[in-house]
Amino acid sequence: MKALWDRSDFVLLRTLFLSTSLRNQYKYCKDRRKRKKIRGAIVGMALLYAMLIGYSFATCIGYGLAGLIDAVPVTCALTICSLAFIMAFFRSNGYLFNFKEYDMLMSLPFEPGKVAACRFLFLYGRLLPWFLSIVLASMVGYGMYAKPSVLVYPLWILLSLLLPVIPMLAAAFLGFLITRASVGFKKKNLIQTILTFAFVFFCFTIRFFLEMLFKDEQVGETMENFSNAMSGAAQFYPPAGWFADVILRYNWLELLLLAGTSILLFALVFAFVGKSYRQINSAMKSHAKARHAGLEVGRQRSVVAAVAYKEWRRMSGSTTYMVNCGIGLLLAVVIGILSCIIGFDKIVALVTNNAPFDPAILYPAIPLICYFVVGMLATTACSPSLEGKNYWIVQSLPIETKVLYQGKMLFNLCLTVPFMLFAILCICVSARVPLVDTLLYLVLGAVLCAFSTAWGCVCGIRHMRLDWENEVEVIKQGAATAIYLLPNMFAVMGLTVLVVFLGTKMDHRLLALAQVLVVLLLALLSYHRVLVLTAKPESQKKKRS
Amino acid sequence: MGKQVMLSIEHYSKSYGEGTKAAEDVSICVECGDIYGFIGHNGAGKSTTIRAVVGVLDFSEGEIYIDGHSVKDEPMACKRVTAYIPDNPDLYENLTGIQYLDFVADVFGISTEEREERIRQYAGLFEITDSLGDLISSYSHGMKQKVAIIAALIHEPKLLVLDEPFVGLDPKAAYTLKEIMHEMCGQGTAIFFSTHVLDVAEKLCNKVAIIKQGKIIASGTMEELTEGHSLEETFLEETFFEKKTKDGGGL
Repeated sequence: MKALWDRSDFVLLRTLFLSTSLRNQYKYCKDRRKRKKIRGAIVGMALLYAMLIGYSFATCIGYGLAGLIDAVPVTCALTICSLAFIMAFFRSNGYLFNFKEYDMLMSLPFEPGKVAACRFLFLYGRLLPWFLSIVLASMVGYGMYAKPSVLVYPLWILLSLLLPVIPMLAAAFLGFLITRASVGFKKKNLIQTILTFAFVFFCFTIRFFLEMLFKDEQVGETMENFSNAMSGAAQFYPPAGWFADVILRYNWLELLLLAGTSILLFALVFAFVGKSYRQINSAMKSHAKARHAGLEVGRQRSVVAAVAYKEWRRMSGSTTYMVNCGIGLLLAVVIGILSCIIGFDKIVALVTNNAPFDPAILYPAIPLICYFVVGMLATTACSPSLEGKNYWIVQSLPIETKVLYQGKMLFNLCLTVPFMLFAILCICVSARVPLVDTLLYLVLGAVLCAFSTAWGCVCGIRHMRLDWENEVEVIKQGAATAIYLLPNMFAVMGLTVLVVFLGTKMDHRLLALAQVLVVLLLALLSYHRVLVLTAKPESQKKKRS
Repeated sequence: MGKQVMLSIEHYSKSYGEGTKAAEDVSICVECGDIYGFIGHNGAGKSTTIRAVVGVLDFSEGEIYIDGHSVKDEPMACKRVTAYIPDNPDLYENLTGIQYLDFVADVFGISTEEREERIRQYAGLFEITDSLGDLISSYSHGMKQKVAIIAALIHEPKLLVLDEPFVGLDPKAAYTLKEIMHEMCGQGTAIFFSTHVLDVAEKLCNKVAIIKQGKIIASGTMEELTEGHSLEETFLEETFFEKKTKDGGGL
């Protein structure tokens, strides 16, 4: 009988971790600039972990002060499980399939199922520090208020290691099924992207129905209501309930149940995945070639348009890129269509739990609400890094660096402006916003897209990383993406509140005009920064000469 | 009595989507001690066949046997005796050269003494001993190719499969590799490699197969195939004018 896990599998797993270890890179790298970048990456990561720990700890304190400390274990478990599922689902293509060193690994004596299992454990190991930041901060907060037995702490840590396994396996298996379904088609990337989008929207719908379900059981507008909802959600997802039961009631059986289910599912999933792992990767790595196909020459474009078109081909050829940058755009379409069908006022009532206020006070924030989804991730933030090892192609072309980035920015504008205008227009029509206000909001929407494009480009250029192994590293985990996404998201949330507040004090048109001017100024400043950043090498050349 | 067959490709076919065939009814037999050249135009199906041989690419039609084991049914037994050097080696860029070689040696269970001796020997021959402590990301294409070659030789394979092995190698390294191939062939190792460099194939190989649009159009010993002409003349004649229509078992 084959061993479930043998020495060479440990060797592979250890090597996978070593090959992405910042410590290893820092130790052996002789390039001072690279070492500086590694130090920067470590500091950046430490800050993000600190933020996550602080946020989780503050949440626990809130629960403790509200006298709901017993809800912490199940809330923590559900948070970890949701995060694990989402993070693993969006990383399955790239980590589990379609990775760069597939040929090298598969030519070595590893069984396909075990390569898949090692890649899964590698992903688990890479995500674990994020989960542990939340779990350990919650554990400390829980310990401070609940004063549990000392036994709870090792149990909490042990269970935290097991907790992400089941949702990650479910996400990996779904990713596998989507990939498996798409490989039979000629345009497999497109099919994979469509299936992924379909699944994401299915998850949104499920979440919406679950929320509706819990709303029926509401007893009041208090945090206790949230606590009840969490307990209810744990019934739908038993592993979260098992975790809470072990912590609160020392239920050893449920500890064994969680461990046993995780191990059993792991073995089952990878026994199944292993059977068609080689077939899937073969299909993903192979490109059908149409022999005797006619020559189709593209029409002549300007340099900027040619770069923009190249960006479109790059994006449409990658499921990861398409899903991450496209999800916000699709959400904008959904918001727009829903506004037209059920009305903006009803959506507001639904989202705010029928809070007693006039939806008209939200009108000045319509462009910002749309920007929250459309500007979620600008392609310009990750596209400079996505050039990767092919950067030499654009570098060797007789085009100025600024033209290259103008092309990238043009692509992002072409991509985001239509979706932004569509969503704003749909909401304004549905809410019967006056024509002049609507026009101002449309202008503001376009200017916000310009700002997002230019600011994304600044982040992309400043934090460009070309030596990636897997594009997930720059699309999801890149410094440029994080620096663009997080402040942008928090700033929009803050600005929305500010604009709604100011809208109650001043004329909406004046407010919109003021916003247009401020955002335009920021967009111009960001664009100027792009020009400065792209002009740098030229000025250095002049200095040298 | 004939030599032991190390690699036997029997009626192998591979198609992509909508029935486009990348390889069609390919049959090749490589015996111990053979240096078998696999030549063809770009996109003829060389790499597709090679990737199926080393167990990277899935295939449904035909069979491939290595040392008597089926690649489909006993992939591990096949991989343990095979080494593969791809045309563009994707190594772990953030490992040092020596860390990567240690990884491969660990996978094949090579003892510390043996691996040290072999790494010293081959790294010395390829003149990269001093660079093995650097990250692979800092290597040139040729250096990566050298590391991939050392990794392939570290477990003394019975079958060495190389895809365009001379691309990116400096003349000295190319010469060293040819010498190593000769030496291994003398020790009974079977070598199967694809190349565009016909002069190299002519000087190095005792057997050759020519593939065109996924089909073997000629194969056999060098003497049988060239019939006193140069390999270049034979190749051009076969691929451009299609005068000969032989496949499988030679002329």
